[in-house]
Amino acid sequence: MKKLLYILFSFVILAGCEPKIDELSPNRGSADFSRYVSVGNSLVAGYADGALYYSAQKNSFPALLAGQFQMAGGGAFVQPVVNSEFGVEFPGSMPRLKLGYSTSCTGVTSLGPVPDFGPRDQPTPVGYQVNNLGIPGAKSFHLLVKGYALLNPYYGRFATDPNNMVIQEIPPLNPTFFSLWLGNNDVLGYATSGGVGDTITGLKTFGDAMGAVVGSCVGTGTKGVIANIPEITSIPFFNTIPYNGLNLQTQEIVDQVNFAMGLFGLPFTYHLGQNPFLVADPTSPHPLFKVRQMQPGELVLLTVPRDSMQCYGMGIISSLTLTPWPIPNQFVLTQDEITNIETAIAGYNTVIAGLAQTHGLALVDMNTKLKNLKSGILWDGIRMNTSFVTGGAFSLDGVHLTQRGYAVVANYFIESINAEFGSTIPMVDITKYPGVLFP
Amino acid sequence: MRRFTALLLGICLATTTAIGGGYQVSLHSMRNIGMGLIGTSLTYDASSYFYNPGAAAFVKDKFSFSGGVSLLMARTTFQPKDVMGQYHIESIINTPLYFYFGFKPFEDLSIGLAVNTPYGNKLSWGDEWQGRYLIQDLAFKAITIQPSFSYKIKDVFSFGMGLVIAMGNVELNKAIPIEGQNGVDAKTNIKGKATNVGFNGGILIRPVKGLNIGVDFRSKINMKVEDADATFTVPASMSGNFPDQKVSTSLPLPANLDFGLSYEFNEKFLIGINLCYVFWGAYDTLTFDFKTKTAALDVTHAPAMYENKLIPRIGAQYKISDIVTVRLGGYYDPSPVPDGFLNPQTPSMNQIGLTAGLSVYPFKGFSIDAAFLYVMGMEREGTYSPENFSGTYKSQIYIPGIGLSYSF
Repeated sequence: MKKLLYILFSFVILAGCEPKIDELSPNRGSADFSRYVSVGNSLVAGYADGALYYSAQKNSFPALLAGQFQMAGGGAFVQPVVNSEFGVEFPGSMPRLKLGYSTSCTGVTSLGPVPDFGPRDQPTPVGYQVNNLGIPGAKSFHLLVKGYALLNPYYGRFATDPNNMVIQEIPPLNPTFFSLWLGNNDVLGYATSGGVGDTITGLKTFGDAMGAVVGSCVGTGTKGVIANIPEITSIPFFNTIPYNGLNLQTQEIVDQVNFAMGLFGLPFTYHLGQNPFLVADPTSPHPLFKVRQMQPGELVLLTVPRDSMQCYGMGIISSLTLTPWPIPNQFVLTQDEITNIETAIAGYNTVIAGLAQTHGLALVDMNTKLKNLKSGILWDGIRMNTSFVTGGAFSLDGVHLTQRGYAVVANYFIESINAEFGSTIPMVDITKYPGVLFP
Repeated sequence: MRRFTALLLGICLATTTAIGGGYQVSLHSMRNIGMGLIGTSLTYDASSYFYNPGAAAFVKDKFSFSGGVSLLMARTTFQPKDVMGQYHIESIINTPLYFYFGFKPFEDLSIGLAVNTPYGNKLSWGDEWQGRYLIQDLAFKAITIQPSFSYKIKDVFSFGMGLVIAMGNVELNKAIPIEGQNGVDAKTNIKGKATNVGFNGGILIRPVKGLNIGVDFRSKINMKVEDADATFTVPASMSGNFPDQKVSTSLPLPANLDFGLSYEFNEKFLIGINLCYVFWGAYDTLTFDFKTKTAALDVTHAPAMYENKLIPRIGAQYKISDIVTVRLGGYYDPSPVPDGFLNPQTPSMNQIGLTAGLSVYPFKGFSIDAAFLYVMGMEREGTYSPENFSGTYKSQIYIPGIGLSYSF
């Protein structure tokens, strides 16, 4: 009897082993992921927090994609590994940012991006062929510049020949599948310099360059995926400091400011609370002060000198000269500049959609995806939006993504690839990748 | 052999414990478990005080004791939607207990006490799994103590009523999607207790010999946790947003309306059915109200949206001899959780239960009761849309149990 009970019991326990659910069975569909090459800019390289550093590069979205492809016949994916967690050092490069405490001119200590100093890699050639041709800083037509390796140390690190054009790197890799996300810098350089330090790549130049890049990728019918350009004016870099961030806290100050403006002959009135900043405006009819108040919709850049604003009156009246002190145009996107950016992006995206159509490429509509992010997205209990630091998707430079943000991008690519090629590449578990790290 | 069994236990067992569409646990007496968990129309012993206080006056003996324990071994597998890899609920074994006592000072009056655990849920997904921002582990248990009486009018009708005192405790852990510079998630732990009362009342009708018809209603009990402790492990720079504090919440123990019918064909053979209507609709939203409000902590609402469900059950028993009685049964327990609200806190599936039972009477009035219940949680794909968490769940539960009954 006792023995019988034990036997019964053992049977019960064995049967109690886990219930079976069919596992996913990844399928490559009509695509062939055996030799995957990714082409693009800093977003493709895995750039984050103002630097290209080890852990973020390791989880660049093409690296995550390659990891998923490997479940459906994908091969090895080599990146030009940066060994330092602090980035690559070359003339003009900035250290990586981390979240830390700093004290402003007003004596207030607060949490924000601060430089994270540490030993950085030198931009010496890695000495091996790579699959990830993501080059921070690259614009579309840069990929057609001979000797670009000498101009851009990130390319110099993995160029197989310093005299090469980037697109010459692609055919020798003999890709069976490629991803291309390029063109953000063609308009971002203009935007991050407040519309004064750089120019927007003309539509014809952009079209020709993208055509050539895609041409070198598709070769004789290689399949691939291409992503379009998001509304870059939605990113935290342009949306953290509001146009009306001038906070006048007492009526006394308001009266003084209004009195002074009257004295200067400037027709601006101020009230308690939030007021628009003054911005430089060369078209102003005023003989002396070429300034105006910022308008709703205009954007202040994250790089604006905040101490000057908080303690010395930039954006209102200089505490040193006691005259109006506008924010210089390089730190502001005016409505005209925003329109230029939007027009360029719309044109670029028409080119990209056309290329996808012509070559049968999967198209990732990053433009729509960023709009969705702006209103907030939710994955597995994680809420993300375009807010700086707290939004979780954008890293501390306000332009590039966190590892979690890149993981979401990888999933958007997978969605498009699966839809286009009938494949069933599994999604990335985004909870495995961190957002902004807090001290 | 014993060692082999122990080894297997170590290898294979893992569990959740809610056995029931939601978080109702229906393991209240081995004799009833053996018969598909029916009980509203049965008059075996003092366990009637739980199943239907109205039936207790029909228990023949002057004194009746019954107690037992189940060993609940459950395993749930989860396949996240479109993401490679599966998760299994980690091993926790739960042992719901019951104890009943009945006493008849007069032929038609019975008074008694029922102690059991009609609601509970215990599971652990581990700290690192994909749904950790919804739940890592949860332990919730409500013990009820029910003093009752039952009164019989002739041999055709009886009624009874009990006061249900429910004492519950809950503890849960989950991760917060804020990472420290060491890459570790922030975390919250919530721990609290609640006590409240309800009632249990029912009637039994015996129109003809051998036929029992029972109706029982157990009221909803709202387990209101006023001062649960919420503790947070967060990066130092975020501690201002997450102060340790008190939080209030509440969880309803839903009302049940049970209808039972059983017929004794002869001295040896009995068959019965039960229809149990569970008022799950009471569980609409799980609200946490943090006492110290910050930018990150306020009143949070997690929609549950449970729906009322009817559970049909059937069971039979056959008396082989004066010494041995065997039982069989089964039931279908539909999930009260609608599509779109399938939460890994309570992975709820439609369940089919199959039961078998055995009583051995070494001497008159005393029995050793064993039962075995196998519950198959049918594979279900779903989403908890308030957190956009999707996947497929499937479970299996094995519940052997043993009890003793003594009546004289």
